[in-house]
Amino acid sequence: MAENDDGLEELGLSKSLTRRQVLRRSLGGFLVLYGGALPKVAAAAVPKHVHKQYKNTLKIIQWSHFVPAYDVWFDKTYTKRWGDKHDTDVQVDHIALAQLPARAQAEVAAQSGHDIFGHLSPQAGLEDQVINHKEVIQEVTRKVGKVSQLGFHSCYNPRTKKWHGFPENYVPDPIHFRKDLWKQVGLKPSTWEDVRKAAPKLKALGHPVGLGMSNELDSNMLLIALMQCYGAFIQTKNARVAINSKHTIEALKVMRDIYKRGMTNEVFAWTAASNNQGYLSGRLALAVNAISIARSAEDANPALAKNTAIAPIPRGPVQRLGLEHVMGVYTIWKFTKNKALAKRFIADLEINYQQAFRNSKFYNFPAFKGAVKNYKNQLNADPHTPKGKYGVLNLIANKYTTNLGYPGFSNAAIDEIFNTWLIPQMFAQVAQGKMTPAEAAKAAEHDAKRIFAKWRKRGKI
Amino acid sequence: MAAVAEARPQSRRFRDLLEDRRFLAPALISPAALFIVLLVGAPLVLAVYLSMTDATAGQLTGKFVWFHNFVDAWHNDNFRRALRNTIIFTLASQAIVLVGAGILAHALVRPFPGRWFLRLLILLPWAAPVAVSTIGFLWIFDSQFSVVNWTLVHDLMPGGGHFYLYRPANWVLGGIDHLPWIHVGKIDRLNPPQWLGQPTLAMLAIIFVQAWRILPFATVIFIAGLASIPTEVHDAAKVDGATGLRKFWHVTLPLQLPIATVALLFGIVFTATDMTVVYILTSGGPFNSTHMLTTWAYQTGIVSSNLGEGAAISLYLLPVLLIVSVLMLRFARRVEVS
Amino acid sequence: MWSTLRERGISYLIVGPFAIVLAFPFYWMLVTAFKTNGDLYNLDNVPFTYHPSQAALGETLPLRHDHWLPFGFENATASHVTFIFHNTNYLRWVENTAVVGALVVLITLLFAVPAGYSLARLSGRWGQSVGVGIFLTYLVPPTLLFLPLSRVISKLGLQDRLWSLVLVYPSFTIPFATWLLMGFFRTIPAELEDAALVDGCSRLKALARVIFPISIPGILTVVIFSFSLCVNEFVYAITFISGSEQHTISAGVPTDLIRGDVYFWQSLMAATLIPSILLALLYNTFLDRFIAGFTGGAFR
Repeated sequence: MAENDDGLEELGLSKSLTRRQVLRRSLGGFLVLYGGALPKVAAAAVPKHVHKQYKNTLKIIQWSHFVPAYDVWFDKTYTKRWGDKHDTDVQVDHIALAQLPARAQAEVAAQSGHDIFGHLSPQAGLEDQVINHKEVIQEVTRKVGKVSQLGFHSCYNPRTKKWHGFPENYVPDPIHFRKDLWKQVGLKPSTWEDVRKAAPKLKALGHPVGLGMSNELDSNMLLIALMQCYGAFIQTKNARVAINSKHTIEALKVMRDIYKRGMTNEVFAWTAASNNQGYLSGRLALAVNAISIARSAEDANPALAKNTAIAPIPRGPVQRLGLEHVMGVYTIWKFTKNKALAKRFIADLEINYQQAFRNSKFYNFPAFKGAVKNYKNQLNADPHTPKGKYGVLNLIANKYTTNLGYPGFSNAAIDEIFNTWLIPQMFAQVAQGKMTPAEAAKAAEHDAKRIFAKWRKRGKI
Repeated sequence: MAAVAEARPQSRRFRDLLEDRRFLAPALISPAALFIVLLVGAPLVLAVYLSMTDATAGQLTGKFVWFHNFVDAWHNDNFRRALRNTIIFTLASQAIVLVGAGILAHALVRPFPGRWFLRLLILLPWAAPVAVSTIGFLWIFDSQFSVVNWTLVHDLMPGGGHFYLYRPANWVLGGIDHLPWIHVGKIDRLNPPQWLGQPTLAMLAIIFVQAWRILPFATVIFIAGLASIPTEVHDAAKVDGATGLRKFWHVTLPLQLPIATVALLFGIVFTATDMTVVYILTSGGPFNSTHMLTTWAYQTGIVSSNLGEGAAISLYLLPVLLIVSVLMLRFARRVEVS
Repeated sequence: MWSTLRERGISYLIVGPFAIVLAFPFYWMLVTAFKTNGDLYNLDNVPFTYHPSQAALGETLPLRHDHWLPFGFENATASHVTFIFHNTNYLRWVENTAVVGALVVLITLLFAVPAGYSLARLSGRWGQSVGVGIFLTYLVPPTLLFLPLSRVISKLGLQDRLWSLVLVYPSFTIPFATWLLMGFFRTIPAELEDAALVDGCSRLKALARVIFPISIPGILTVVIFSFSLCVNEFVYAITFISGSEQHTISAGVPTDLIRGDVYFWQSLMAATLIPSILLALLYNTFLDRFIAGFTGGAFR
């Protein structure tokens, strides 16, 4: 017996607490802590959004907007007001960007979920699971005019003649650059050739350009836009793979040159936040991103914001043509019971898009051009200095923004190529010297053809 | 009277039944077994079915393609790399955990002042929910703001002297470069290592994070194992004159083997089937070079909507782990008996 | 006396470095949680101290212009830490995690204790095989199972409710717990039970009166491990539940503190620290008891 007591002492426990006492105390504590919570869990299991009794319920899920104020407006003001008018309890859930595909598929697998699902890119792959959104398109067209070419090419499938989503908004993708630094090197980022010339000079100053080649959204959009400026496309108008062309090879060469002389290998490790953070720290001299950078700078570093200019994507030898940064697409599942209500909600949101446009701080542009009046005046009236800097967004939105998959439609194959980071990988392999441009283009063509063949077999292209 | 007399043997018969091993054993196991069959077995069967179809995008049905998905998966370079990565990742991280936890457990069994606090520090990685602690590591290894890189390239001695950590580090790396087969390069002050951007460094980062978070878990299991060695064994060893290293080798280590095997086995299974760390840190990493089977299956099945293929890839793990587990369990039992 | 000093020295020499490597990220998280945006995103600033910077919208700098505080505390701000309490449902998430964990632990014990006992004592040869069979369910990754399970959850009407997690989590805690308890029950000498049986107890009564109290350490182990498995679970938590109020910590933090391409790093660090420290304290306390139980053993 004595050794056991010594053993206990050695382990730092006094002899006075017997096992029974420990048991009693811990059980008691456990019951106190959690017994009280049990009824709470039972109650919490039922989401308590209802203060007043509504006839209908509408459930929406969408991403957490980077402008928190937009979510506050959407969740607390807009949906409540709409809900009151239509005797509906509107419940809005949010989800992180990265979890959207998993959640969407889980709802399909479960055959139950939210009535309205807000994606951040056209979801051609889910075509079979959603309704034909033709009615909503027609209703909105009746009220505010036709949908833009961008919206049409993003959400319509010409083979099955189905609208597989409702294009709600898109976000233009300008470049942000540091006026003071570019003045120092005596150049302006108006063409890609200028960027190529300035890159080593800016790097020498300690302020390189920030063009990512990583498996993330910003890099994906930037590189596809770069290709477009050089006349290179992933597919033709008729959904034939066109990625292996001399234009692609030229674009690959340019990017390799910019990287070798003007950037470091951190760009292969970037996340979607890296160019934001790099720019905000004052280090990067150029970044291609939605206006989240400019807006964050206004909050965190007004001096930096003043020196930041927004401009369209640089011109390539063939054209100046960019992409949307993200595209807000609403879909209604086939299995939902609230189709009419969901359609009404989406239509009303789009028709009255002025409020969303303003509350997103001009991040969200409606896919139906007529839904907002007087773009230019509103953008120019933005109070941040230099005044009128956001006016250029109108130009970018009208002239320099196309859909993913231009000149064709955003079909399921383009979707898959986008989601599996085929383009950033192609560029990264070349920039790192692992493949020549010709080899990389050929490899990408091989992969793309396989993906296109698969979806063609399924009858979607 | 007769009715009462009849009732009593019935209740005794039931009680006898409860005593009967052959009834009691299955009765006690069946709730657990039933639960598992329903919640794991049934979905597993469905997943096996899916892996042999061409299902897409969350649909739970599809056209039968038999083993086409499995063959297709094997022909993909990325899959083979993912398989290799899974093996490297599991073995490397578990080796670190095994050695580390073994040493640490021994040191923690004896009392010393401050032990409670140091143990608290050691438990932290396991206590933190893995999803959020890995997000923390995203920032620790960030491509621009990594605190590791900052510490390496900045002057750590404010004021008069200068001390740069990367200089002695480069000295060590230069020495390693002299060894055959290994090439590591040097740390450039203007371009510090990309912990999540270079394939090799990314693998090291992932292995480190996984070992970091499993080490406390294994240590606790080892401590339990050490503590359960009865005092008679220690006394007998003392009588026999075995102390220190000899005692460790001949007495403690063999007694610890069964529990070490179990700890290692669980560690291997948790590491091979878990996707959180890799998914959050690198999402498959620079050019799909750090994909594990789990993340590659997720990428194929969910992100690319090729559900059937994704299911097939996940199932590749099953036979491998099965063989490993059975072997290790048999080993553990043999050691226990001896 | 020297030998004890030397032993202690060796202990510190071994435990020290491990503790530093394992806990350093948390120390650094603690420092980062109180940094202002301007300070955090400045590449030249020392990560371990605070530096003056322009305050961003909504940031408070409590003590400006006083340079007498060490580490530059006058430039620290608590606004990012309070952000998680005021602008997100963080407390609800913590509560949800705790409740789900507790319920799952209860269910696990309910199923695993009888199963473990049965496999250890009553089952003989086929018990080994069933034991191995139960273990093999671990080999199926949740990335494969979550889609079919979504269908099950929705059929049961549990979608978006915490009960879905309470139902599904035991599927990976029960096998583990059964295994642990099986091993543990085997170490209890059979003579104790036999003694009770000889005294006239039924087997079930023996289980309750004699075995159960002795197995407290094993049960505590199962409680700790099962709870930690629940807290760490990520895939199911994100997929089955979408309402922010019903999230657990693992699901809520990535959803509300990462918005598009903006990471709220300071808030993320604070959100990680709070449950980590609490749980580590909890586990550390239980650890003492459970080790004591192991050595006290069946000899009390």
